[in-house]
Amino acid sequence: MTWWLAALVLFGALTVLFLVGLPAAFAFFGINIAGAWFYLGKDAGLVQLIRNGIVSITSFSLTPIPFFILMGEVLFHTGVAMKAIDAIDRVIWRVPGRLSVVAVVAGTVFSAISGSTIATTALLGSLLLPQMLRRGYHPNMAMGPIMAIGGVDMLIPPSALTVLLGSLAGISISQLLIAGIIPGVVLSLMFIGWIVLRATADPSLAPAFEHEEAPLWERIKPLILYVLPLVLIFVVVVAAMAAGWATPTEAAAVGAVATVAVAWIYRALTWSNLMTALLGTAGISGIILFIIIGATTFSQILTFSGATNGMVEAIREAGFGAWTVLIAMMLVLLFLGCFIDQVSMMLICLPFFMPLVALYGFDPVWFGVLFLICMQLGLLTPPFGMLLFTMKSVAPKEIEMRQVWHAVTPYVVMGLFALVAVMLFPPLATWLPKLLFK
Amino acid sequence: MRFYAFLLKAFASAAAVLLGVLALLVTLDVVLRNVGLGTVAWVNEVSEYSLPVATLLIAPWLLHRNEHVRLDVVLASIPKTLARALERCCDVVGIAICAVFIWYSVRLIFDSSRLGSMVVKTLAIPEWWQYALMPVCFSLLAVEFARRLRA
Repeated sequence: MTWWLAALVLFGALTVLFLVGLPAAFAFFGINIAGAWFYLGKDAGLVQLIRNGIVSITSFSLTPIPFFILMGEVLFHTGVAMKAIDAIDRVIWRVPGRLSVVAVVAGTVFSAISGSTIATTALLGSLLLPQMLRRGYHPNMAMGPIMAIGGVDMLIPPSALTVLLGSLAGISISQLLIAGIIPGVVLSLMFIGWIVLRATADPSLAPAFEHEEAPLWERIKPLILYVLPLVLIFVVVVAAMAAGWATPTEAAAVGAVATVAVAWIYRALTWSNLMTALLGTAGISGIILFIIIGATTFSQILTFSGATNGMVEAIREAGFGAWTVLIAMMLVLLFLGCFIDQVSMMLICLPFFMPLVALYGFDPVWFGVLFLICMQLGLLTPPFGMLLFTMKSVAPKEIEMRQVWHAVTPYVVMGLFALVAVMLFPPLATWLPKLLFK
Repeated sequence: MRFYAFLLKAFASAAAVLLGVLALLVTLDVVLRNVGLGTVAWVNEVSEYSLPVATLLIAPWLLHRNEHVRLDVVLASIPKTLARALERCCDVVGIAICAVFIWYSVRLIFDSSRLGSMVVKTLAIPEWWQYALMPVCFSLLAVEFARRLRA
């Protein structure tokens, strides 16, 4: 079978399994079983499939994933996150579109302590959205920023998906985590700029309301009490990785334990909410890692069927320029992001993309950040962006999906701007890791 | 039925506790190392082995709660009877996939234990230990698919 026919059959079958609603992990397992039988030596191939399954997730580079998720889950279930958001709410005033700005700032802070994008969106959505709608905010003004900042969570460490990308693509996980900081913060600033601009141009979108007057210290005290410790945990986690004191796994574990300790100090920790947080952590990690069980075999099948080499060779022989190939890869990611989840995107694309990254000599960390921005946009792009559904599930019933799509559109455009900006100015992604990892 | 739900929840809870204990162990290792009391050499390895254990323990519970990532929007936008038929197809495919995983993991476990294969790093463990949960997990997953088929 020629490589392109093999690729067509493999991806065609995978698409069918996805479309009929088989869980993504099982779609990969199904393809792997057929592929292992044909390309990895029938019976022996299927034994190898089992071995590979365990090997794929027995990896020290993946262990930060549950710990990063635990940080966010603990804050979420102990109620500390709500206190932090409330504290941020008190220090932002006299800004047009105040509550939307609060959502972005709180989301950025929460991103810096939570490894899970969905948790961030669900939290902000259930907490701030009803308040905004009650205050007469236009649904677009209320929902857009919350979804957008949930996506940015993926860029700002700690981020479970960044760890996974680094691990699967063989990119330095510490460097990749740190490389996401500047693009993430730039995006947050762009969002705030847009909100202020829109609310100033049309104040009816976000009606101003009387905010309780309080002395400055009363406003700042909760910030110091509830936000500063969280920011400190973030700084310690990032600094420990950057300075080489700890591996990403160790930094993540220390961060998770510190988060539990902080919740305990606030007297917010109970056995019951700790167990709920742990169960949530195991659940989210399990969803991600269960798909990864199919990763090694899937990439082996693509190699043995000749699909990987065939595609890479064809691109090389066609003599495409580096930019053409890079843009094509980004377009593939943006397209896939509209339909499938982030973990599946990595499994499908990385076996093809990483050889091309090597062939064209792209900086892997830079490429990793571009990949992350595309995946982040995938969370927000219709019809199947996951955060759109998270938002729909926490929004009042009368809000239709169409309106959710509409609300997120400007933020998707800004995300595309950020993608182009990082493409054209690689230091946006690479400067910080280069500085810290000299 | 209640026992079944209890079993899935118990497995999931075990995965949750395992990850919590792991975070504590890794932190303890970092602290001990930095105060100059040496390192707990097996922590890295145990945390590696724990990932598949936790994943396999919680997978059936996640399927039970329909939390595994799937593209169900297509199913929601086609006529109900067709969607129901497709769901049933998925359940059958799911059971078939589980059967392959169960059969080959049991074979791997027997072969590996018969040969006495060991994985030797800091710890030395029989290789088949790594695969032991695989047939258990996929049997429960198969049961879950079968339950859906009957529902």
